Amino acid sequence: MNTFRIGWRNIWRNGKRTWITVVAIALNTAILIVSYALMQGMMVDMVDNATRMVVGDAQVHAPGYRLDQSMYKCIKEPEKIVDAARKAGIQAAARSYGFGLISSGSKSAGGIFWGVDPAAEQKSFELSKHMLIGEYLSAEPGKNVVLGQKLAKSLHADVGSEIVAVVQAADGSLGNELFTVCGILKVAGEKIDRGGAIIHRADFEELFVSGGRVHEIALNAWGKLSAEEVAGVASVAAGDDEVKTWKQLMPLLFEMVKMFDVAIFIFGLVFFLAAGLGVMNTMLMATYERIREFGIQKAMGSTPWRIMKDVSIEAFVMAVFSTLIGAAIGVAAGLYFQEYGINLEAMARETITFSGIAFDPLWRATLSGKIVMLPVFVMWIICVVAALYPAGKAARLNPVRAMTHV
Amino acid sequence: MRFLEWMCLVAIVLLVGPAVATPKGAAKTAGKKLTPKQILDYVDDLYRGESSYAKMSMKVVTEHWTREMRMEGWSEGKEKSMFRILAPKKEKGMATLKHGENIWNYLPKVKRVIKLPASMMGGSWMGSHLTNDDLVKESRMADDFDFENTFRGRRDGQEIIEITCIPKPKAAVVWGKVVLVVREGDYMPLKMLYYDEDLELARTMTFEDIKKLGGRTLPAVMKIVPADKPEELTEFRYEKVEFNIKLKKGLFSLRNLQR
Repeated sequence: MNTFRIGWRNIWRNGKRTWITVVAIALNTAILIVSYALMQGMMVDMVDNATRMVVGDAQVHAPGYRLDQSMYKCIKEPEKIVDAARKAGIQAAARSYGFGLISSGSKSAGGIFWGVDPAAEQKSFELSKHMLIGEYLSAEPGKNVVLGQKLAKSLHADVGSEIVAVVQAADGSLGNELFTVCGILKVAGEKIDRGGAIIHRADFEELFVSGGRVHEIALNAWGKLSAEEVAGVASVAAGDDEVKTWKQLMPLLFEMVKMFDVAIFIFGLVFFLAAGLGVMNTMLMATYERIREFGIQKAMGSTPWRIMKDVSIEAFVMAVFSTLIGAAIGVAAGLYFQEYGINLEAMARETITFSGIAFDPLWRATLSGKIVMLPVFVMWIICVVAALYPAGKAARLNPVRAMTHV
Repeated sequence: MRFLEWMCLVAIVLLVGPAVATPKGAAKTAGKKLTPKQILDYVDDLYRGESSYAKMSMKVVTEHWTREMRMEGWSEGKEKSMFRILAPKKEKGMATLKHGENIWNYLPKVKRVIKLPASMMGGSWMGSHLTNDDLVKESRMADDFDFENTFRGRRDGQEIIEITCIPKPKAAVVWGKVVLVVREGDYMPLKMLYYDEDLELARTMTFEDIKKLGGRTLPAVMKIVPADKPEELTEFRYEKVEFNIKLKKGLFSLRNLQR
């Protein structure tokens, strides 16, 4: 403990210089914490938007369904999977898909019909709240349909419009039905925007004579479990059916997340290098000033190891002090951005979408223990490592020459 | 969309057909030596007339379902055709009108007419036994293909003539090769083999049950089997055909479609 006290006293022998270094390290730490938190925030927001909107943490499909979206490739025991998920506290929504022709007035277009359970969708996913106009489906089947934005536009359909659905039913017959548009979705990714026509499960079964076939179960744990844990729960009940996490379902997004990690690493490297060089400079100066002192210490029997330790601890003490200030600033700023965020609305009026993923224009930071502690710890290590060179120089001094050094 | 396409297919391939109708051609073939071009023209015109009426059944067998339906249809020139489904109950009353490039469908259940979008008429028709090209086909074999007689003699216990057709460089044909097999003597079509652009067999069309219909002798049954799904099948069976008849005015109108 004594060494630390000596170290503390030593760093204040030149207060002005120490303060400059402390401020530099503190600012570096604070900037690292805030930018890390902002990056993390964007990443979490992106992943959450992508998964909580409609995809979920994980999904179950029949083997091969994702490659060939055939009506006949359905999940064997959907109820079992949904029950298992709900028991584990995971929200689950079963969906059926079918292709068909959608026609409104003189306009017509191809589309994908989604047969959903509106109650489960509302509990499990945010898409149901993502309405541009109108309302999502009600819990009871009523021959209503929710359309993707671009599809609605190309059909010239509005809330209250009547559309005709013509489909090839599962038994080979021609299914056709009138639906009333009850709502139009906000931009929610290309697949939904261009072709999405969401209808009630019961209406779907009638239209497609689908006999209760379920093609997809989307699972959402709302952050309580990791995607892998969710997939694990589903796998137990899924049997032969394939379970994929969002990382496998949206590989592009996952690549982006990984890219973010690399970016923050490079960004961090630059800041740590700057901080390290600052510390090295300060410690070089501090030891150079005290060459005579070190000479006397050595003459009195200090081992080189002892001197090395003293100088390193001095750097460490300074690092701890600086990072405490830095962390305080970083956490304060991080909390501010976590609470209020940065509003990007001025730059983009509408929701920003990137490769089918919708972004929130309010950019919030996400602060966590790891985000604060990682820059702080790495900074300690950097400072001590940077001090090793001056410390080594001091330790190797010849006592006689050092004592007579002017 | 398989069924919609079927509706159109039937309308066009079987009823609309008449490109340049040669009503006399049909009767005059027996016993004459025809050149390959004459054979192609003969087969092209076999089901065509200035106007026509037909009643037929269509059976579709796929991996997942088998369905049979009955329908009747009318055609006039190559531009206009119309037909109506008679059975089964679910589709009864559905009707299709083709006028030039446009196709409309009437759906009695919802009492709406919808126009088939262009995107559903062009291009290949996924997972089905026929391509969209078949639906809008109004061309003649002899115009679009270079052809030669590649076999003449006995095969599978039958005297046959085989004509191999390679599309002309500029012809709008999706096939790499089409092989037509007709019976020696009366030139009744027996088989048509369609090859894709890599010259792999894509589908086989066979003609069966040759009999007298509408004053002509022609195969009453056509079967189409995709090469990659030999267990699947589409079969058309004519019950009644009439050629060159007088048709009611306004038959090919949207109003009549909704009748």
